[in-house]
Amino acid sequence: MCNTTDINREMGKHEIALNYCSNKHAVQKGANPAPKLILDGEVVEFVAGDTILQVAERAGRGHLIPRYCYHPGLPIAGTCRMCTVEVEKMVKLMTACSTPAADGMVVHTKTERVLKSRAGVMEFLLINHPLDCPVCDKAGECDLQDNNYRYGPVTSSFLEDKRTYPKAATKKLSEKITLNMNRCVHCERCVRFSEEVVKSCDLMMVNRSWHKELTLADDKLGLTSEYQGCLSDFCPVGALTFNDFRFVKRSWFLQRHPSVCDGCSKGCNIEVHSEDNIIYRFTPAYNEKINGHWICDTGRLSYHQVMDPTRIVRPMLAHNGALQATSWELAQAATGHLLETAKKVKVVIGTDATIEEIRYLQAALPDMFGSKFTFRSFNGTGTLSTSSQDKKLDHLLIMQDKTANLRGAEECKLAPLENGQINDSDLVLLVRFGRSAVPAVGNGQKLILLGVWNSAEQASLGAAVEVMLPGLATVEKSGTYINCDGIRQQFIPAVVHLGEGMAVNRLLRFTKK
Amino acid sequence: MATKTVNVSRPYTWQEKFYLFAIVQGLLITLKHFINGFFLRKHNTIMYPEVKREYSNRFRGSHFISVDKNKTENCTACYLCQTVCPAECITIVAGERESSKNPDGVKKEKRPVRFDIDSLRCCFCGFCEEACPKDAIKLSGKYEMAATSRSDTKYDLIYLKREVKGRG
Amino acid sequence: MTLFDFIQMFAKMAVVVGLALSSVPFLVWFERRGSAWMQGRVGPNRVGPFGLLQSVADVLKLFLKESFIPGHVNKFFYLLAPAIALAAPLGALMVIPFGSHAMVMGQKVVLQIAQIDSGLIFLLAFAGLEVYPVILGGWASHNKYTVLGALRGSSQMVSYEIAMGMSILSMLVIYGTFNLQEMVAWQGDSWLGFIPTWGAFINPIGALIFFISIFAETNRLPFDLPEGDAEIVGGYHTEYGAMKFGMFFLAEYVAMVMASALISTLYFGGFNLLPGFGLLVSWVGGYTDGSPDALQNVKAAFEFVSILLKVGFFLFVFVWVRWTLPRFRFDQLMDLGWKVLFPLSFVNLLVVIFMSYFFVS
Repeated sequence: MCNTTDINREMGKHEIALNYCSNKHAVQKGANPAPKLILDGEVVEFVAGDTILQVAERAGRGHLIPRYCYHPGLPIAGTCRMCTVEVEKMVKLMTACSTPAADGMVVHTKTERVLKSRAGVMEFLLINHPLDCPVCDKAGECDLQDNNYRYGPVTSSFLEDKRTYPKAATKKLSEKITLNMNRCVHCERCVRFSEEVVKSCDLMMVNRSWHKELTLADDKLGLTSEYQGCLSDFCPVGALTFNDFRFVKRSWFLQRHPSVCDGCSKGCNIEVHSEDNIIYRFTPAYNEKINGHWICDTGRLSYHQVMDPTRIVRPMLAHNGALQATSWELAQAATGHLLETAKKVKVVIGTDATIEEIRYLQAALPDMFGSKFTFRSFNGTGTLSTSSQDKKLDHLLIMQDKTANLRGAEECKLAPLENGQINDSDLVLLVRFGRSAVPAVGNGQKLILLGVWNSAEQASLGAAVEVMLPGLATVEKSGTYINCDGIRQQFIPAVVHLGEGMAVNRLLRFTKK
Repeated sequence: MATKTVNVSRPYTWQEKFYLFAIVQGLLITLKHFINGFFLRKHNTIMYPEVKREYSNRFRGSHFISVDKNKTENCTACYLCQTVCPAECITIVAGERESSKNPDGVKKEKRPVRFDIDSLRCCFCGFCEEACPKDAIKLSGKYEMAATSRSDTKYDLIYLKREVKGRG
Repeated sequence: MTLFDFIQMFAKMAVVVGLALSSVPFLVWFERRGSAWMQGRVGPNRVGPFGLLQSVADVLKLFLKESFIPGHVNKFFYLLAPAIALAAPLGALMVIPFGSHAMVMGQKVVLQIAQIDSGLIFLLAFAGLEVYPVILGGWASHNKYTVLGALRGSSQMVSYEIAMGMSILSMLVIYGTFNLQEMVAWQGDSWLGFIPTWGAFINPIGALIFFISIFAETNRLPFDLPEGDAEIVGGYHTEYGAMKFGMFFLAEYVAMVMASALISTLYFGGFNLLPGFGLLVSWVGGYTDGSPDALQNVKAAFEFVSILLKVGFFLFVFVWVRWTLPRFRFDQLMDLGWKVLFPLSFVNLLVVIFMSYFFVS
């Protein structure tokens, strides 16, 4: 992003305007100067090849230009005509999304002509758009609402009945996506996404103009891609809605907090949408280096694991052969006693633990109970144990390793758990935050579970479990992950844990006898 | 126009100081009222349970949700009333209406699974009524809302869908 | 004492005490409905005809309530206070004459329970007792509000008792007797044939001072500072409940009856026939056998009616004033008592003494 304020500071505003109004001056100025254009009176530097809209975006002025069909992650279409701007010396209004910026261009985004054009486009779009915002899940984060509020005409001169698609009013395109064609504004973002980004080519537009309709390429197959949730994210209206979020919550209630998806070793950046610390959805957060604009549906739905009603959120203690909920004091005392009396303890840490947690365990346990601990990492997903075996499962994001921090575990010098290694100890401390598989445990060892477990996973370990200490999931804690490409990502809690779970460094505070 | 207050400071006259005149004046006034009440039976009291006060049409009383001809509530669980409610007394849980019970199609596909109003928290400001895009939630003219148990003061969807005369 | 004496004494007591006590529910009802009428309301009108049984219902409720004694009180004085409160005004009523005399079976029955020569002293003594329930109740309740009420009450009653005593003294100078029967007889004359020689006409300033003081003595508005429910909850009877509170309540109204009877007797001719009643007496007397006994009985009956009407009027005034005037502030109360009424009554007394010395004798 070029820094316009610095330039302003160096020279007077008018001087710059004069200098860059013609190419002649710009060429004279330096040997190879960056190209600049004037956007609403401000000089903006840009990279050659950008369109006017991209220039505005990078200058932090993208909000000046409304758009429907343009999406930074998709090819440019120029169909919606919402982004038109006035460029001096050009007769017609130009679409900012598809007009390449040229050196010395003078662009206006707020002239009367532009505003009139936007109002016209809005009126055209609203001719057929139903007024069902109260029912629509997009309401509150809807581009059409926002743009109409800012630029739209107050009244409509259209008196006739609206066009409807009776058959496609509520059409399940797949298990995850519902289409309401009445609301569609024909921006074709979804079609471009399926063709150019996920390359599943399962959506297409049929017919023209008034009858233009979004359909599946194959009605029987439905949508097939693993990135269907993105369709509802970038749909500028509520035409494509994600079934998991459908009718669940109005978007204006949601608080948005950044976090990192722990669904695979990719570590996609996400936004956690929650109200009162109850998570309602994950949406992608833009990160050019990792996930761009997208996340996969598995990651998007992974909040269900955090909100799992069967997740164990109270400390539990074995009593008469069954685990029963207890207080932290008793559970910690029992854990301390077990660790004290055990001769050889194996600490098996799932590769979904943060670097901080691994390092804490490595340091704190021997410090408290002496050097009877051996630390091993465990992954168990996708039949791999080291990061070199990890590989992409598709051309976009999905990785074979389903844990978030295998590289981090390796950085902490954790050797992977080999088959049978678990048997040479009498006590096993299983640390796992819900992603790595549950390791097979041999006979005879006592087990301490720590982290995020649901009751089925805990039950699969049988009667060997002595203590269960609930921990925090990724969105509930802070820490560092290293993703499959070696990028370190730190995150802070997005929501507050609603159970009794605690961070590792708090729950392992034992009173020594 | 703003009220203008003038403070006049002056010594009391001897009549005012004597006080008995004022007392007699006051006694005469109360005597007049007494005679009005005792002999002429004039009073401003409305004998409540027998005689009920007529409020204006704008009076905001207990809530109800309007229904269409199929007895389906007009509410589409858009949460606007819950959003605007300053007392936070409305709790809505939205859901999808079964298509077999939904002759209106896409217009009424969203429905309130639960629609609870805590009438003890409600301040009867009428914002919900104003925010409602479907004219579903309304405040009736009913002002007798006393209940003998706390649970009776929490209005659920079944209660809210009752028939209300007048402002239907 | 003969059996007849005993019976006639008992009958008089039954009439006076019964009337005094049974007038209370009616008074309470009238206080509530009267205040309602003065304020444009309706008042209690549900229980019984015109709501007359409301007081009965209230008393029934007070009877049925748990007789609760707070743990922190001095029990003896706590229980003593309401008893004195009720006994003192009833005792004072004993010397009020409610008729000259009746003739029953040829014997003279004086219509006054206790024919004491120093009747007024007796009356003042009992009226002075009324300060004790306020102090005892307030102090024994062990509560800051009750103590405040007691302090206010005692200082107020003591202050106004002086002015009251002065105005009574001035009447004693005029009447020249302590005997209430004689006082009433003194007032039996008339000037010019139609203006009765009532104390109030002879000594109007004394009557006014007495009238004001009697409000303070009975703790009625505008002198109800000992209760002062807006400031100190209930004043001296804050800690009383059930029928113990009921007795305080009862006592307040009996004291009102006593005060009304006292002011009627001292200043308004007592049982003397009201103007015009003389004609009624002779008219009704025409229907009797004409014997002097029967005529005397008719006269006594109308004398009784006369004092009842006078007492009733003053009871109405009590209620009327209560719902007209607001409560005094304490400093205003003391100012009025010590700086106005006390010197005024003293000067009045001196004037009366001089006048009676020079003119009457």
